Order: sequence, then structure tokens, then C-alpha cells
Amino acid sequence: MGRFLIRRLLHMFAVLVAVLIIVSLLLRLIPGDPVDAMMSGNPGMTQENMDAVRQQLGLTDPVYVQVLSYSRDLARGDMGDSLRFRTPVFPLIMEKLPATIELTVFAMLMAILIAVPLGLLTALKRDRPADYVGSIVAVIGISIPSFLLGILLIMALAVKWRIFPAAGYGGSMTGAIRELVTTGDPSALRESLRYLFLPGITLGVASAAYNARMVRSAMIEVLGQDYIRSAEAKGLARRTVIVRHALRNALIPVITILGLRIGYLLSGAFVVENVFAWPGIGRFSVQALSWRDYPTIQGIVMITALIFLTINLLVDVLYALIDPRIRLA
Amino acid sequence: MSGVALAQPVVEVGSGPPSSRTGVRRLAHELLRSPKGMTGAILVGLAILAAITAPVVAPHDPTDTSVRAKFAEPVFIDRSSEFPLGADNLGRDTFSRILYGARASLAIGFLVTLVAAFAGSVLGALAGYRGGFVDTLIMRAVDLQLSIPFILLAMIVLAVLGPGFWSVAIALTLALWVNYARLVRGETLRIREMEYVVSARAIGLDDRRILTRHILPNMLHSILVLATLDMAFVIIFEASLTFLGLGIQPPTPTWGFMLSEGRNYLAESPWMTLFPAMAVILTVVGINLLGDWLRDAFDPSLRNR
Repeated sequence: MGRFLIRRLLHMFAVLVAVLIIVSLLLRLIPGDPVDAMMSGNPGMTQENMDAVRQQLGLTDPVYVQVLSYSRDLARGDMGDSLRFRTPVFPLIMEKLPATIELTVFAMLMAILIAVPLGLLTALKRDRPADYVGSIVAVIGISIPSFLLGILLIMALAVKWRIFPAAGYGGSMTGAIRELVTTGDPSALRESLRYLFLPGITLGVASAAYNARMVRSAMIEVLGQDYIRSAEAKGLARRTVIVRHALRNALIPVITILGLRIGYLLSGAFVVENVFAWPGIGRFSVQALSWRDYPTIQGIVMITALIFLTINLLVDVLYALIDPRIRLA
Repeated sequence: MSGVALAQPVVEVGSGPPSSRTGVRRLAHELLRSPKGMTGAILVGLAILAAITAPVVAPHDPTDTSVRAKFAEPVFIDRSSEFPLGADNLGRDTFSRILYGARASLAIGFLVTLVAAFAGSVLGALAGYRGGFVDTLIMRAVDLQLSIPFILLAMIVLAVLGPGFWSVAIALTLALWVNYARLVRGETLRIREMEYVVSARAIGLDDRRILTRHILPNMLHSILVLATLDMAFVIIFEASLTFLGLGIQPPTPTWGFMLSEGRNYLAESPWMTLFPAMAVILTVVGINLLGDWLRDAFDPSLRNR
């Protein structure tokens, strides 16, 4: 296990370095630089002004010099300054990241809460009407683009019935929970959840549908095994057999897939945030890209890559812990 | 990706490539008997039909604007309307735009899936068959690709290339080839050691012949299923990018762009959003149903269930 971890961490480091180099080079290939982007907001800027700003920001150096000096700073734990805000990138990203994580975690919880019962139901009622209805719902859930589902939900629940706000952010969830615990006042949490609900559902539905199908096929597979028949033959209650024997085994492959789905949820969050004006890194990166704010985009890519790689590693480790047949090498 | 559980052996060991004639006929026969497969085929067929016949069927030019027709109501609300599904903020006919929009969606779907499946499969087969340095190189590229959220990568690539049909096609292909590379590499590692491949090598066939004649045909089914399900994903992804303003640009009518415009007029002219939404959903549901059915049809272990 120790050697496995060391090898994987070294590997992660190599991948991050490669990601940094490729993304930095790609960004420099984008037509127009940060100063052009600033210029479009300040028509009064002269050519001399622009050249001076370029000089000041180090944009006149050759690309490899820029990338090298960025890497040197990064090695010291400094992600550089945003070219747009002239403030350090790292706090800027950290300010936006919690909103994205809240959205992703909420979507994931929704996905599990919908997927497990739906998958179980369709597996147990296989080839009966409940299964058909459930399967149709699942196919539709997988087939709706998230931005479209978001629009439809806004149309129905925000514009027509005005149950939820159409867009925006209701304050930090962690702050709201802290307030609930310390002062016992649930109003901040309620407000935060009211804003989180529509984007969270929008992001979670596709994963819920996908996971429901995984749970269904895993359950069907497990229910056909000999040990289930033995458990039933022993005279155990059907409920016990299903929950204790079947579901537990069926969830093993589902957990792996769930880990991999986090990547999808994060990617999906980039789109959903733009639909709901959610102030997370997804929306921020679309803006940063239009500003050509190289250090900010590099920072976002590095941090999301780090999150991706860490999750994948955790899934592999978890998987080995859950299933003793798997050995990490 | 949707194809995680697909990496199963599909053809009996040693049976060689399936004979296509009887295979296709058997498949068509099974399709007719499966409600799921038929529904999918009909929906996809309708979308293809819309794309092909758009110039003939469309009552208006999809880019024709008219001040008079701004926000014209659909026929079922206003009997005298000359716009079957209403008109948009520039007075363009929604129905005609949906028909033409099918062209962009399906073209991107087919093109990207085809190129990604081909390139990914070739690279995966090379990695699995050759091993060593080639394998390391290709698989590290896969790792790299998988460590960046695909939408972020697509956004950066689109910023470099500028928005447009071909840029979207390239960005999406770059995001998708890894799935095939991983699937095919895994299968190749498995099949490479099978007796019939070892004997093909023993009688002196060269690597290229072994790969193209003996190894790849045996995973065509898995690739085909993954490709079908991927095409659904590509259409969704293209619409999302266009929705974000990074994809195919106007005046080309696309479903993604219609949706992003319709969003601004949800309350007054919901038809601007609802009908293109239905077009996207029905097409993608159709492709997914077809892919599901193909998976079941190809998987002998599911046949008698």
C-alpha cells in the first residue's frame, strides 16, 4: 500500500507538471492578450499605455520565460497575481471554490438519494410496469442537457410558480450551518438551500439517472447469485436478504462509478453555474478566459486537476478497502 | 463515460470476425421485435429525415428575419399564424430553424464520434499490442486528458481556434478519444494472448494484419455500442458549448443557440425554448435507446434473460 501510494503521488506530480506546461502554452495561442481584453473596456488607452502595461505584466518576455518564472513561483507555493484584478490568484479561486463544491456535493447527494431507491425498485420489479416507467424516466434523465433542464426548471418553478429564485447565490452553506449550530437560527440555511435547490437538482439529475441504471443492473446480477438463494433457503426475511446481502454487494461497483462521476459533476457544474449565475469557479473560468487572465486560468486548471487526481486516487484506495479481493500494486 | 460496463467479450473465442451479412440481418430482425430499439430507431430516423429534407419541408428560410413576424405565435394559439411553431425575437420561423438545426447537431454527432472512435481505437490497439514505450506514451496522454475537466479543456481549445463548426468538432474529438483508447487497449491486452492470435503470429502474419484482421474485429461490437451512446453525449455537449456562446455561431441555425436565445424570452414566448428543447431531448433519447438496445442485442449473456 505504501509503495503504491508513493508511486501514484509521483505520477500525479508528473501529470500536474505536464498539465501546467500544455495549458500555459495553449493559453498563449489564444488570439488577443490580456491587455487587448482590458483595452476593449478602455477605448482611451493609447498604444504607449498598452505597451507599458504589457511590459509591466511581463507579457513581452518569450513564452518559455513566462512559463518558467510561473513554475518557479508555483514551486514556492505562489500562484501569481491575476492580471485582471492585480491580486493573488489563489485567494481569488478559494473564494469561488466553496460555491462550486456545495453545488457538486448537493448534486451528488441528490443523485444517490434518487438513484438507490429507483435502481432497487426497477431491479426488484424487473419487466413489470414499475420497471418500464422507471427505465423510461432514467433514459430521459440521461438525455436532457443540464442547461436545458435548468431552463425548464426556471421556467416552471421560478417564473411561473415563483417557488424558487431563478438565479443567484443565497450565501455560503458552511456559514449558514455554523450559524444554525451557534445561534440556532435556521433562516440563513433555509435561504442558502432555497438558492441551491434548482441548480443542485439540475446538476444531479443526469447522475441520478445514470446511477439508477447502474444500481439496477448490479442488483439484477447479484440477485442471481447462489449466496442469495442460500440466504433465502435459510428462511431469512426477504427484506434482510435484499438489504443485507444483495444491496451491500451491489453497491461495490456503484461506488467506483460514483467516484468517477464526480469528474462529470465538476464538468457539469461549469455549465450549470453559467445558467444560474452561480458564483463558482465554473462561471469564473468562463470570465477569466474572456479576460485572457492567464495566471487565473492556469490556477483554476491546476486546482481542478489536483481535485480530479486526488479523487481518483481515493476511489482506488477505497475500492481496495471495501473489496478485499483487490490488491493495490 | 457512459460505456464503463461495456468492456466484455462479445464474440466467442476463436470464432473470428462475425460474418456481416447474417449478422446485420439477424440484428434487423431483432430490432423489429424490440419496442425499445424500434422507438429509438424511429426517433433517430425522424431527426435524420428532418436534417435531410429541411430545404424541402421548411416553410420559411431559417435565417429570414421580419419585423412584422417578431414573436409571432404558433398555429395552435393563433389560427391565422403562418408560423407552425411560432417565430423568435427576430421574426424567424421556429419550425424551419429546428429542421435546419438538426443538420448541425447530427453532423457534429456523427463526425466527432467517427473520428474519436477511429483515432482512439487505433491508439488504444497500438498501446495494448506494442506495449512498452508506445503504451506509456499513449496512456500518459490519456491520464493528462482525464485530469482536466473536459469542458474546461474544450473551452480553452475553442478560445484558441475561435468558435465555429470545425473548432467544436476538434474540441469534442479531443475530449472523447480517450474513452476508446482505454476500452480498446484493455480488450487488446486480453485478446492478444488468446490462442488464435498467438497462432496467427506463429504462422508469420505481420502485426498490422493481426491487429486489423484478428484483434480489432473482435471488439467492434463494444466500440459500436460505446460510439452510439457517445453520440448522444456529443449532441448534448455541442448544444452546451453553443449555449455558452463558444460553439457554432449564428447565422447557422443550431438547437443550442435557439435555446440560449429563447432563455431571454421565457415568460413571453415560451415556444422559442420549448420546441427546440423537445427536438434535442427526443433525438438524444432516441440515440440512447438505440445504444441500450444494441448493447443488449450484442451481449449473449443477456439474451435469455
